[in-house]
Amino acid sequence: MAEHAGVYLRLAAASVRATARRPAYLVVRFLSAGMIVGIEVAGVVLMLDRFGSIGGWRPAEVVVLFGLAFTAQGLALVFGDTLEADKVSELVRRGTFDQVLTRPTSPLGWVVASYVDTRFVGRMLAGAVTVAWAADRAGVAWTPGRAGLAALAVACAATIIFGVLLAAAGFTFVTVQGSEAVNVLIYGGQYLASYPMQIYGSALRFVFVWVIPIGLAIYVPALGVLGRQGPAGLPGWLAWLSAPVAGAFAALGGLAWRAGIRHYVGTGS
Amino acid sequence: MNPHPVIEVEGLRKRFRTRRGPVEAVAGIDFRVQPGEFVGYAGPNGAGKSTTVKMMSGILLPSAGRVEVCGMVPYRERKRLARRMGVVFGQRTQLWWDLPLEESFELVGHLYRIPPAERAARLARLEEVLALGPLLAVPVRSLSLGQRMRAELAAAVLPAPEVLFLDEPTIGLDVEAKAAVRDFLRELNRDQGTTVILTTHDLDDITRLCSRLMIIDHGRLIYDGTVEALRTAYGTTRVLVVDLAEDEPVQVQGAVLARAEGRRRWLEFARDEVSAAELIARLLAGHEVADLTLEEPDIEDIVRRIYRGEAPP
Repeated sequence: MAEHAGVYLRLAAASVRATARRPAYLVVRFLSAGMIVGIEVAGVVLMLDRFGSIGGWRPAEVVVLFGLAFTAQGLALVFGDTLEADKVSELVRRGTFDQVLTRPTSPLGWVVASYVDTRFVGRMLAGAVTVAWAADRAGVAWTPGRAGLAALAVACAATIIFGVLLAAAGFTFVTVQGSEAVNVLIYGGQYLASYPMQIYGSALRFVFVWVIPIGLAIYVPALGVLGRQGPAGLPGWLAWLSAPVAGAFAALGGLAWRAGIRHYVGTGS
Repeated sequence: MNPHPVIEVEGLRKRFRTRRGPVEAVAGIDFRVQPGEFVGYAGPNGAGKSTTVKMMSGILLPSAGRVEVCGMVPYRERKRLARRMGVVFGQRTQLWWDLPLEESFELVGHLYRIPPAERAARLARLEEVLALGPLLAVPVRSLSLGQRMRAELAAAVLPAPEVLFLDEPTIGLDVEAKAAVRDFLRELNRDQGTTVILTTHDLDDITRLCSRLMIIDHGRLIYDGTVEALRTAYGTTRVLVVDLAEDEPVQVQGAVLARAEGRRRWLEFARDEVSAAELIARLLAGHEVADLTLEEPDIEDIVRRIYRGEAPP
């Protein structure tokens, strides 16, 4: 695998170079991806301003959650955008995936590395800027520990999203028409993670902390970042549980992907 | 004969489930290919050609039967086999579309772990044979189809594969580009001993390159033998299509009326019995002709005729 890493880095570099050959296009994509985040955040800020607070959270604190979610999504999509159902169907439909299978590499490594999408770096950066701005307004005093928690939240949420995309891609090999269901999963989940979970009541809260780990990956570490007390009974060490949960998601995604490939090789297109 | 064939296929079957029920794309085929053979694999669309090739290259799992390539079971040892096999699909690219051609060769070198010195030496030879020098700095998407096909071939053989699977490598190419591709393949097979499996509709590709021809139809191998034998048996019949000035019965010595439609007549004749020129002269002697064309038998025609049992193999 170590010697393979070099190959995948080269593939990823080739993909970035290919995009960089059209710099104007790259800049426009990059900026528009960042701007979308800006517009959505502005919308949330305007809306939250009317309420003053949601479940005891001030608008700026909510926006921190929002920003963390965007950053994680950007990070996951830099590598995982190509796993979206429509892109995978396209690879299958055009026969590109058959060619990938004739290469002496892992199909997943090939697909992810070959279709690295730098556009989502724009989304990532805009998300990070949002976090910094909102944290400042929320009066967060950054410490290495808090920065670490924010990074943990982003990394784990990104891993979960990537795992879900991976599973969806595996599923796509079977159905080749999963687009809508998957988008509901990703963006619906994203939406939930962007609001404080207290509004969902205590029974559902428990369900969401475990059932929707995006909420776990961002919400719980964010409590630490904002220096807030979580709801009663939520211990501080729970934040670190994000890592194994995210790992489990990635592992399940990987299994689904492999099952999808086995199905594809068994049936063909 | 060589006890170690490069490709061994035994009782190979592939069933697909479709909305209209199960379809057996490959319905039990057997063959062996010895090292250095140049095999043409032909058949009408949907006959099972590409399904067979996909099973040989590890893209598809057989429903039943056995397939071995280079001593490996393709779907089980896909990555290892990939190092010893090359694949070129005529209508798709395996090059890096937006990057200069030379970067594709560099990436292939890394992917297949070709030592840099070795890669440089092989590339130098390929550049010369395929006249790639001026194309190296050009992005792949800007290459013409003919140039791109030469580049695809170079990329496919750069890792020095033992077996090369080609799917319609001359489709859409002009005469000159076709000749360049064929010359290259002939030399590759002769000088490097590369085993080549060529899937094509183009009878010309097969007659000019292949020592052996396999024809598949409805998932079954209906011919496996030399091209010579096939040509003597079936390829000798040509058809003269005649548009008469008037609708009248036609009889020409040496030809058989195969079909009539309005004023058009299809006259079949044997290549070795009468020349087209002689036949046309005889026809013009007795009839007024508005137009005429000469049809050579194509591979699908031959396949159809063998399958229908007209002139048994």
